[in-house]
Amino acid sequence: ILQAFRKAIGVRIKEETELIEGEVVEVCVERPATGTGAKIGKLTLKTTDMETVFDLGQKMIEQITKEKIQAGDIITIDKSAGKVAKLGRSFTRARDYDATDSQTRFVQCPEGELQKRKEVVHTVTLHEIDVINSRTQGFLALFSGDTGEIKSEVREQINSKVAEWREEGKAEIIPGVLFIDEVHMLDIECFSFLNRLLESDMSPVLIMATNRGITRIRGTNYQSPHGIPLDLLDRLLIIATTRYSEKETKQILEIRCEEEDVEMAEDAIAVLTRIGMETSLRYAIQLITASSLVCRKRKGVEVSVADIKKVYSLFIDESRSTTFLKEYQEEFMFNELAGGDAATMEIS
Amino acid sequence: MPSKWVELLTAARKTALLQEGRRKIHFTMSDGAELLEEYDVRSNELLVRKWRRKSALGGQKGWEYEVGEADLTAKFAALSHGSEHVVESHENPICFRCDTKKLFQWRIRNLPFPTSTYELSIRDQSIVVRTSNKKYFKILQIPDMERYGLSLNESELSFAHANNTLIVQYKKPVEIITDQDMLMVEFKKMKVTKEGDAECNQS
Repeated sequence: ILQAFRKAIGVRIKEETELIEGEVVEVCVERPATGTGAKIGKLTLKTTDMETVFDLGQKMIEQITKEKIQAGDIITIDKSAGKVAKLGRSFTRARDYDATDSQTRFVQCPEGELQKRKEVVHTVTLHEIDVINSRTQGFLALFSGDTGEIKSEVREQINSKVAEWREEGKAEIIPGVLFIDEVHMLDIECFSFLNRLLESDMSPVLIMATNRGITRIRGTNYQSPHGIPLDLLDRLLIIATTRYSEKETKQILEIRCEEEDVEMAEDAIAVLTRIGMETSLRYAIQLITASSLVCRKRKGVEVSVADIKKVYSLFIDESRSTTFLKEYQEEFMFNELAGGDAATMEIS
Repeated sequence: MPSKWVELLTAARKTALLQEGRRKIHFTMSDGAELLEEYDVRSNELLVRKWRRKSALGGQKGWEYEVGEADLTAKFAALSHGSEHVVESHENPICFRCDTKKLFQWRIRNLPFPTSTYELSIRDQSIVVRTSNKKYFKILQIPDMERYGLSLNESELSFAHANNTLIVQYKKPVEIITDQDMLMVEFKKMKVTKEGDAECNQS
């Protein structure tokens, strides 16, 4: 939890990084003839004053082929992170009429040295700083995701250092939000730990969600509202949620349609809203994708009421599924209601 | 009155070692930066000076060479096992500083162009090397001069080209030479561990 807490706090800090910026003269990637083994890549870059050949690593070759970098492009390479960014085409290549679309930007070829040092502001989380400092080879651990345990002394050290940076104006702290869903699943030890963390001066905004009423706190025999101990509950603001109204449901569905790039007729949305109100919103949302597929199958542009009706008959919702199951329970495997004679028949 | 550079070095934590005919001195500064200097035992010339500074977030970075030639094989190895992504090819010109007692000197190898192509000038307190065929460009900074707060003078600058190598020279000012001699005397007084001297108990 502490790790999650620290991940939720961002620190914005300035750091110097090495950048390579220049115009691509030549890219050349060679595959070994046997088909196995590492690829060899060479990249020639130039500025108005100089030209340099670079040897490329595997990751870099992949990126360059992915970004479709070719001669005449102006690119920057972040040396430590190994990231390539395309800035545009060189002005000297503006004469090539072929293969330029409207989005192509023309950029001046950079001057001076290829390798430059630039101040870059980037945002890291406290957890990442912890990881970097916890071991000498911290950077590797950050990428593999295996961090091991971070000692509390390291964390304390980082806290004081970050506070120092903040005073000097070198860094800026962005408190984040930590969202814990199904909070009743936490046990009493977690809660007391949370209590402690909330009191520290660098704590993020904590949001917890639960759908339980008065239940037992995990790890104890005490009953408490929402399964949260009362002392923690006192420090919280409780936000009650209400059922969505019809208008809200419609709005959510419209947003969802936009998100999934589904065009839907006005009356189809109305039908879907009705379904959403009567069954569940999740079911209605799932119908969007399904109905758009049906619509595409009949080569339609807009999802109509007929499509939704079809999908509604194909996929059943929760309450219909329950009634259906009750009806045909006997014909399924492992049924327990009429279990007796079915089992004896199989044995004989 | 000792200069800031001398003060910085005397304040740092030092360890010295004699190895392979070199006097190696390791400094740890108060801000956590490390400095390694290597002097030839016989001629007392500075062969290597490299820095390892902490990154802004406290992570370790590699050694940065101020004087001396960096080991390139390590870089190519890093490229092949994936911890480095871009490395300059060995076909490129290689530039490194190798000082003599009286001169700051840079050697730029693998530069095949004739002598007439090179143009040297001084701009923004650094030496600018450019070629008229637009193949090579380099800004040479002299951190020593910055540390002493001295400005560069074009008349002290000279260059020569032979065997595919461009040699750039700049005369060291008097202040730097005197300090350098004084530091050398100090370094010789330091207690040094010779190779194989370190105790290594088996049990």
